[in-house]
Amino acid sequence: MTRKLLELKNISYKAKSGIHLDNLSFDIMHGESTLIFGPEESGISELFDIIIKVTKDYEGEVFYKDKNIGQFRHQELLEYKKDIGYVHGNYGLLSNMTVKQNIALPLDYHTDLSEEEVEIFVETVAVLLKLTHCLDERPFDLTASEILRTAFARSIVLDPDLLYIEHAFENHCRMNIKVIIEFLRERSLRNDKSLILINYSPENYIDLVDKYIMLYDGRIVFQGTTENFLSTDNPYVVQYKKNSLEGPIVIS
Amino acid sequence: MIVKLISFFGSRTCSYGAAIADFSSFIMSIVNSFKYLKKVRFRTYYEVIINQTIFTGVNALIIVASIALLAGGTVIIQALTSLPKFGVEGFLGNLLVIIIARELGPLLTALIVISRSGSAIATEISVQKWSKEILSMELIGIDTRLFIVLPRVIASVISICGLIIIFDIVAFLGGYLISQTVVYISLDQFGQTLINAFTFKDIGAAFLKGTLFGITIPVICCYYGLKPVSKFEIPIYVSKAVMRTLFVTIILNIMVSIMFYV
Repeated sequence: MTRKLLELKNISYKAKSGIHLDNLSFDIMHGESTLIFGPEESGISELFDIIIKVTKDYEGEVFYKDKNIGQFRHQELLEYKKDIGYVHGNYGLLSNMTVKQNIALPLDYHTDLSEEEVEIFVETVAVLLKLTHCLDERPFDLTASEILRTAFARSIVLDPDLLYIEHAFENHCRMNIKVIIEFLRERSLRNDKSLILINYSPENYIDLVDKYIMLYDGRIVFQGTTENFLSTDNPYVVQYKKNSLEGPIVIS
Repeated sequence: MIVKLISFFGSRTCSYGAAIADFSSFIMSIVNSFKYLKKVRFRTYYEVIINQTIFTGVNALIIVASIALLAGGTVIIQALTSLPKFGVEGFLGNLLVIIIARELGPLLTALIVISRSGSAIATEISVQKWSKEILSMELIGIDTRLFIVLPRVIASVISICGLIIIFDIVAFLGGYLISQTVVYISLDQFGQTLINAFTFKDIGAAFLKGTLFGITIPVICCYYGLKPVSKFEIPIYVSKAVMRTLFVTIILNIMVSIMFYV
């Protein structure tokens, strides 16, 4: 866990909505699992758009595997995005495709695997995530956790080095997504695969992540290991854990 | 009053200018994506092309054939009853080729495709954008400009060219059959006048129109499909997609006719 996978350097950005990021810097190392949390409008939602260069009018630099993504051209950017598995709260499954086609899409598009090999690969992932019973169904026929598991399966089939899960586990029973958590736990043991988990309930993932970052008002107000997170007397973290309205965090 | 008028027309001109610049940058982004076409694995495109061709071409056959039959019948009845009055019945074939093959066939086919497939493309894409399906594709590293636009353009060109041929055949043959209820003309005579009137120029013009319509309809509809940023805007942009495609199609039809026949 010594090499940097992702590095954000002095990122400042102001969105039209007024949400801003103020000189934000942090690193994600190879093999590191990080949970980023904070209240709404703390700037967390803007992070991913900057990391994948959807937002371009920011100050500062983003490096991925020591390469400045600001200098990526069209094809390099596509290759870079392919290297990041992303699951968001809306899941984004293609509604005109079946579960099998949704999972197979990245493999069909990016690899030279034959049709049979893709099928075997998809079935292996489907077994792992308990999706075999609904492989031929379309997203509107699925339950909420099946939709999440399909979106998750699609994000991992290319075995990305960085997995970015943004508010995807909210509103899910932990029992229904246990297979995903187990997969992430096993994955976190590998020293070449990193995870960024965005979640409003950081205390639920202490056994899954190594590092916590808390954002508030576009700034990092806490950064530390899981032990630090559990024992800190940082007033922002304390207020957040207590769910209290009294403290340095002002909720408008 | 004058200031208000100047301000109104000024702002309208500026907004049209901005819209044209935005559309041009959309076209440029597609052209840029074409540079990386050799890296694309086409197996992901096949199913989209087949589905789009079935929807735009095969499923539209009945409505295209019906309209061709009615349009052909009307033109032939009018021609057969009116031309003799002016003593120019010998020009029947030429008139049919001019009206049906050169103009009505491509234009009516395009109008049917716009109202069926154009609106469907704009709606499908705007819903996909709203539900973040397009964002998800981009995050898989898919070049969405190519993935969304290219299969629809290919399917649309194939479908429209095919539908124009079918339109013309049904309009001529069906129209001939309908006309038999009004006036008699032998099939041999009818066929011979058509063959004499047809030139390669007519076939070339029809295919050029089909190809241009096949490109512009999905491109404009995709452009407007990608515009909405909220659910509320979807019907607004679908309506814009249909109206502007219609307008561009008619302009293109005139331009090709001028290019070939003036």
